[in-house]
Amino acid sequence: MKTFASLLAAFAVSASPLLAQDDAWETQGLTDDAITIGVMGPFSGNASSYSKALIGMMAYYDKVNAEGGVHGRQLVAVQEDTACDSAKGLAAAKKLISQDEVFMLQGNSCSGVAVALRPTIEEAGLPWIVAHAVSDSISDPLAANIFHGVPTGRANGRAMAQFVLSKPDTTNVAIIEHSNDWAHSYSNPARDYLEEQGVTPSLELTMERGQTDATAQVLKLRQEQPDFIIAALYEAETAIFLRDLKKYGMGDIPVMGTAGTDLENTLKRTGDFDTVKNYYVIHSYVDNLDGPLMQPWGDMIHEYYPEEELSTFSFVSIGSAEALVAALEAVGPELTRSKLMAALEEVRDFDTGILSDPITWTPEDHQGVKGSAVAGFVDGEPTVLKAWGQPY
Amino acid sequence: MLMQLTLGGLSQGMIYALIALSLTVVYRSTTVVNFGHGDFVMAGAFLSYVLVVLAGVAFLPAAVLAMIAMFVLGVLFNRGLIRPVRGGPHIGLALMCIAAGYVLRGIARMVWGREVLPMPAVFDMQPIFLGNLVITGDAVFIIGTVLVLLLILFGLLAMTDLGKMIQAVYQSPRGARLIGLNVDRFNDFSWGIGAALGALGGILVAPVSLLHPDLGASFLIKGFAAMTLGGFGSLGGAVLGGVLLGLAEQYAGAYLDSALIEITAYVVIVAVLFIRPQGLFGRKAVVKV
Amino acid sequence: MSQTKMPSARQRRLRSWLFWAVPAVLLLLPLATNPYTQFIANGILISVLVTLGFTLVIGNLGQLAFANTAFFGIGAYASAILAAKLGVPWLLTIPLAGAFGALGGFLASSAALRGIRSYYLAIITLAFGELMRWAYLHAKPVTGGTDGMPMPRETLLGTSLSDDTLKFYIFLAVTVLLVKATLNLMRSRFGRAVMAVRENEVATASLAIPTARVILVTFMWSGFVVGCAGALFARHVGHVFPESFGMLHLIASFAMVLVGGLGSVLGAVLGAVLLTALPEYLRAFPGMEELFFGLIVAGVLVAMPMGLASLLRRVSPIFVERFYREAP
Repeated sequence: MKTFASLLAAFAVSASPLLAQDDAWETQGLTDDAITIGVMGPFSGNASSYSKALIGMMAYYDKVNAEGGVHGRQLVAVQEDTACDSAKGLAAAKKLISQDEVFMLQGNSCSGVAVALRPTIEEAGLPWIVAHAVSDSISDPLAANIFHGVPTGRANGRAMAQFVLSKPDTTNVAIIEHSNDWAHSYSNPARDYLEEQGVTPSLELTMERGQTDATAQVLKLRQEQPDFIIAALYEAETAIFLRDLKKYGMGDIPVMGTAGTDLENTLKRTGDFDTVKNYYVIHSYVDNLDGPLMQPWGDMIHEYYPEEELSTFSFVSIGSAEALVAALEAVGPELTRSKLMAALEEVRDFDTGILSDPITWTPEDHQGVKGSAVAGFVDGEPTVLKAWGQPY
Repeated sequence: MLMQLTLGGLSQGMIYALIALSLTVVYRSTTVVNFGHGDFVMAGAFLSYVLVVLAGVAFLPAAVLAMIAMFVLGVLFNRGLIRPVRGGPHIGLALMCIAAGYVLRGIARMVWGREVLPMPAVFDMQPIFLGNLVITGDAVFIIGTVLVLLLILFGLLAMTDLGKMIQAVYQSPRGARLIGLNVDRFNDFSWGIGAALGALGGILVAPVSLLHPDLGASFLIKGFAAMTLGGFGSLGGAVLGGVLLGLAEQYAGAYLDSALIEITAYVVIVAVLFIRPQGLFGRKAVVKV
Repeated sequence: MSQTKMPSARQRRLRSWLFWAVPAVLLLLPLATNPYTQFIANGILISVLVTLGFTLVIGNLGQLAFANTAFFGIGAYASAILAAKLGVPWLLTIPLAGAFGALGGFLASSAALRGIRSYYLAIITLAFGELMRWAYLHAKPVTGGTDGMPMPRETLLGTSLSDDTLKFYIFLAVTVLLVKATLNLMRSRFGRAVMAVRENEVATASLAIPTARVILVTFMWSGFVVGCAGALFARHVGHVFPESFGMLHLIASFAMVLVGGLGSVLGAVLGAVLLTALPEYLRAFPGMEELFFGLIVAGVLVAMPMGLASLLRRVSPIFVERFYREAP
């Protein structure tokens, strides 16, 4: 019993809050020639297509390293798999923080995992740039060390609904989505915006992952004949849904998709232009995926990951990596965690040359990207749009 | 709308029927339920993809080759992994099937983990419009292929002694051995056929569903529901159960709520087992004590 | 195969000493862990309980019921809802979650008691689990829907319940308590009746043993153990999501039962430790976890169909569990 008591005492001491973060903590994971960055993502499991985002981001690290790094330090990514599962993600975060002792975290694709991680990472206090997951509750309310480097669900959902309503005479809007947190992180803000504008969705449909047929949903849509359909569906289900829509003679109804799909690959998957010609997606970039402004980024990814097929995910995390490098440059060679977070909060209207909207982090607001463009086919070509009929 | 739903339900149901049938073939002759069957379905689809898209083989020979390959894989699986654990607890077989499925899925994930691949449509035909009813090439192709296959299969069973042999092995492997049946080879054969039929399900569905490593995950439970509905172990019941499940999903989705499509199979399972446990054609499922 | 030597009286005393020695040593574990390994250790304790509850039904009682992930989810949601919505202290939610888990066990046993057995029982209990998951997703006002339920912040003895070391001691206490209770139950007259039902239900009934009650109680105890584990899991992750209670969890715990050794309490512990720790080692091979997991499970099944516990039984009769039968 004596051991037990002394043990309890020991752990009571060890559990006392680490508020007084000392010098060793400030430079943990840092050497003269390397900055270790924990990169969490769904490298396995049924959401692994998201991990393309982290591949793109790590390609950017490689590029920075090839150019000499930041103040002579290389960006060293330590990859950890979350499998898009909250328990596994927590283990990954704890491993990175306490065992690998990385300097900071950047990445994470699955919103549910990121939400579950927030308390742990907030307590640990090291900087975390959320580079892909969109859920607003990751960074709102504000956490001193958590920075959101992509448009959040609120920004995206509003952008979707704004675009839908920018089409003249749109009053009848239907929504089809998966029953998961990912889909809801888009559709709920979109619903809120529609309600603000006095539009109540006329039809709410679900299509679950793994369904290979959307006949029932499409026939209901055929009865309703909406002006616009908002579709928060993953890649495979988007293709199936669009195909069935076209099949049943409703290919003319425009469909607004999320940032989870892109025009080029959806076209490839359906194999038929007529099927996707009225499909629009959230497109957080300055140009088409194969446009001249995106070309160098694609080339960069292929330089370090030659086999990688590019999709909209491939580019989404690069912008926040640029902002990180800019902040690291600004801090100078005497880097600490606090200095980095202070520098991140100085980032204003940072044009990444890849994201359609700039990154601004202030001490009051860590949701850095406030808007998103939309892409759709204009004259047969994927085109970035600001509003219905208005090129970006 | 009813006609359209029926057609959609039929073409989905044919896939379920095929998967339930392939599960039943294995179950009837070996009393093992292949809990990894969804991944066998996925593997068949990926094999045909590799042959069609990467090796440039035409669809039909590619499908046949993929089925042959899966037949061989089924036989090897039975010999290499199922036979050694037959002496252990019976449910070890279920886990072995799951483990094999994980290996197949793991291989697919390793190679194509981050992709969702399109499978070229096989049967490119302009849809036929009959009033409001749309008949697409996919539907014609799926329904047609499965019907032809069923005719051949049930024809074989009716006209040869194969059906009787299956029955004999199912009822008593020892008795079957006594009358001179090579039960081991028979089991190999059943596993091969089961895997090949499952692969065909994958090949048929892939142009519609697109290809990804998790393609097969949802099909296993649909197969179970179809088997339960038709009567566990009944070949004809599996087919009918599959078709009925396909229809039920469409009707529930359109007339009730699209959120119900996901759970139609589960509701069917629970309802059938509580109301009529033997299904439509099966033997009594409940144990009386 | 069933000629395994039974332990002598001296060995039995040694065994009961060993039983208490293991948790006593584990009390010192937090001295050797970092927050990551501590988190994994906590996860292992939860897995032990889940596997224990599962093996009771499929191993000891011999019923092919796959409802343990349903019990687990019910327990986790019960704990989260009680704590977050009704303000019940989390510690108190553990037995309550167990009670809800037992209710789940009651439902599952009602299928078995209607005579739905073997693969039918497997399939209907699979369906039960998936229907529960669907309910968590769609009963948004109660369960939070797809956003899940965050656990409220709480302190115990002045320490935050987000502390993994504190959680470890609580988890360890709950685990030891439930393992001991289960062992006692299985060694009792009731435990013998459970085995008898597995071996021959009709013959057991003819001995005036109420087989229906035996089945009912075993399912409910299994549900209680796994429901308690669910409450621990809710605190372990700090946020309950519907996705945590799907097929992947079921398959993982099924593998734990068989890799450890069907129907063996020791096996449940061994299987849970091995297969919870293993994926952490597989982190070094991103994207290949499924492949390795499949290969390892298949390998263990072929090499030792009776699981890891059979290995220990061969080493010493100390590890022989009473009424455990080697043959399938």
